[in-house]
Amino acid sequence: MIVLDPNGERMRLMPLNIGPSHGATHGALRYMTAIDGETIVALTSEIGYLHRGFEKMAEQGTWQQVIPYTDRLNYCSAMMNNIAYCRAVEGMLGVELPERAKVLRVIINELSRIADHFICVAAAAQDLGSTTGFFYLFDSREETMVIWEKLTGARLTNSFARIGGLYRDTYTGFEEDVLNVCKTVERNLRDIHACFDRNRIFLDRTTGVGKISAAQAISWGWTGPCLRAAGVASDLRKDEPYFDYETYDWDVVTGTQGDVFDRLMVRLAEAEESLKIVRQALKRLKPGAISVNDPRIRVPAHNKVYQDMESLIGRFKTVSEGIRVPAGEYFSSSECANGELGFTLISDGTGKPWRVKVRPPCFTQFAAFGDLVEGSMLADSVATLSSLNIIAGELDR
Amino acid sequence: MMEILTSRHWLEWAITIAKFAFAFVPIGFILLLIPLERRGAGFIQDRQGPNRSYFKLPYFGRIRLFGWVQNACDGLKLFFKEVYAPNHVHRILFALAPAIPFAIVLISPCVIPWFAPMVFTFGDAVIRIPGQTVDSEVGVLLLFGLSSLSAYGAVLAGWASNSKFSLLGGLRTSAMTISYEVCLGLSLMGMLLLAGSFRIDEIIAWQDAHVWGIVAQPVAFFCFLIAMIAETGRAPFDVAEGEPELVAGFHTEYGAMQFGLFYMGEYSHIGINSILVACLFLGGYSVPFVEMSTIQANVGISLGVLCGLIVLALLAFLHMIYRYSRWYKTSSASNKEVILREYSLYKLLAWAAVPVVLVLGILSALFFHPEYTIINGEMVYGAGVAFGTALIQLLTLLVKACFFCWVWIWVRWTLPRFRYDHVMHLGWKVILNIALINLVVTAVIAKLVLGGN
Repeated sequence: MIVLDPNGERMRLMPLNIGPSHGATHGALRYMTAIDGETIVALTSEIGYLHRGFEKMAEQGTWQQVIPYTDRLNYCSAMMNNIAYCRAVEGMLGVELPERAKVLRVIINELSRIADHFICVAAAAQDLGSTTGFFYLFDSREETMVIWEKLTGARLTNSFARIGGLYRDTYTGFEEDVLNVCKTVERNLRDIHACFDRNRIFLDRTTGVGKISAAQAISWGWTGPCLRAAGVASDLRKDEPYFDYETYDWDVVTGTQGDVFDRLMVRLAEAEESLKIVRQALKRLKPGAISVNDPRIRVPAHNKVYQDMESLIGRFKTVSEGIRVPAGEYFSSSECANGELGFTLISDGTGKPWRVKVRPPCFTQFAAFGDLVEGSMLADSVATLSSLNIIAGELDR
Repeated sequence: MMEILTSRHWLEWAITIAKFAFAFVPIGFILLLIPLERRGAGFIQDRQGPNRSYFKLPYFGRIRLFGWVQNACDGLKLFFKEVYAPNHVHRILFALAPAIPFAIVLISPCVIPWFAPMVFTFGDAVIRIPGQTVDSEVGVLLLFGLSSLSAYGAVLAGWASNSKFSLLGGLRTSAMTISYEVCLGLSLMGMLLLAGSFRIDEIIAWQDAHVWGIVAQPVAFFCFLIAMIAETGRAPFDVAEGEPELVAGFHTEYGAMQFGLFYMGEYSHIGINSILVACLFLGGYSVPFVEMSTIQANVGISLGVLCGLIVLALLAFLHMIYRYSRWYKTSSASNKEVILREYSLYKLLAWAAVPVVLVLGILSALFFHPEYTIINGEMVYGAGVAFGTALIQLLTLLVKACFFCWVWIWVRWTLPRFRYDHVMHLGWKVILNIALINLVVTAVIAKLVLGGN
């Protein structure tokens, strides 16, 4: 491929197409590079290989029927998406959750965040050629998955949150399981820091690679750990607190350089902060209702439905017609593992959403990918991509 | 023609031909290394590793041999898969490329001395057998030359595959192999200087007389080890296969046994290199702290000690099996009956082997007394002593080589992968300079202290 560079000189470049099915592109995404030797001169990316039509499908069913679709957005922390969506609809309805539901949602959120961050760092370790780091981190994620299995009945796509509460209460022994996971997470964090913190090869591969400044990151619309790694202390849990996040004692982690190393280390440090929140939340977990007591929003329990006429009607109406959400437009965003997951909801007053628009966190991060890696080497593009934690499910929707 | 044949004793010819069997030692290392690598990776990563496949025996049930059966199955699968080539490849080179590294691996053990030169009386004749298959003056250089040829396999594969990923992989391999060949040769120079010879058996003899290479040349040892890992193309230097960016590097387009040949070539290359490091820096076949003449004079007792060591190894194995059995008995594993049945076979075999080896050892210690004749002022023993000594030396060499095999695996599963330019940086700007300085320092010290010329 012969091209003219900006000075008008002829350059011979080799086009190299990476993806959509390639070991480095987790999920299905594609980027096309023009390389000079091993240096990437130009890069364009293409998305849409995993497009499932989430937003269109969301318009077909009732408000509740969107919940299983949200699982498939960021499948590494499915329940966080459920909760973010339900929180948006609840905001539109203007309901206040019972205390136990909030605390449980915090625990689930933070455990999911740990699992998601661990997957990201594990996949990055794998991409940097360290399978051992990968397996060390998968240890505690597996334990989290076992908890999800006991709690929700599913490992990956849980669909556990409901509009106005949660699907069901915890099982006996949930607290001990969570505490055990916390211990495993601590052990894994120790292991992974021992593996990487002072490893010359790892530092050479990650420091100064895929660097972005705070101003650039903000102008690209970055959020979440990637933005915090660039040094901006922006976290919705602190800035616009929900679920009483402001009452927990924890810190926002920021990096300084905004390179691959910072992005990975910010994720690991955030996992530690999440552990703090989980431990505090467990202490606050008192018995009580897990859903709002309103048959128009949350279906009444089965034992009531078979005994009580009003409950039967409530269940029938909510299930068949959907929750009636007041007409209007509403935007709500939550701090998910990858950044700010926003939902713009438009309701026409019926039981079905008129429009659901998702603002996925990794969409903006992937948009900047080309700028980050142009001029660096081919192997750096892989390291950068895995540090951005691109989840194709939420990128393409 | 007849003169050449008759100039040597027939036994000399027979042993010389038999020594060609040593070409298959690296192949043996494949059998050892692949299970060791896969289970070793599991051990490092807190998991089991592949151990599911089994064959059935009448009473003992499913025998898995600690994962060896699974590796045999995987190997068989590669054998029986269709050899497939995409349409866009260069047919001849594509088919030729996987054969090159494997063929090289079969040739290169020829200069490695497996035992000290044997001299023994057979009837009236005195028979002299060198330790290596090819008794060459340039030993180590020949080996380097051969092993650098194996880069052709990767380069040709990268070129013939007609795929950009393969091409980049092939380019990386060729650049890396050439760079690290230089480091490899230079880091060894100090050792060659001390020994004053390119012959591996003379280097070993020097180490036997003075001190092991790892003590005499520690810097060179580490440079050599790193360069050797890089030259094999193993992690952390596996940029040629760098799977995240280059899919599988130069063997992206290969499948079935063609891929298997690359794979086996890599593992037997590790075997060869481990043996070489053991020869050059760990005293090769020389038994630590024991003179060869002592072994020869007390060959019966030496073999007895060898048997004792084997018994110890068997007991350690039994200890492991009993520990596992105890663990399984108390565990809630659903397949524990099956596993305990399997273990009973290992217990039976090991307990049967212990007394046999023990009796053999005691018999040899009591009744194997060497007899010698004096020829030109040297004690020359009979054939039995010579072969017993050679056996001990061969086993010593293999044990040392196995240790390095584990080092290879250990490094691979501990470190992340280098970036391609970092590898070149390390090779040319760091290791090469250290090796050069080491050579100069060694030369000065050798001149001043040892007073060589």
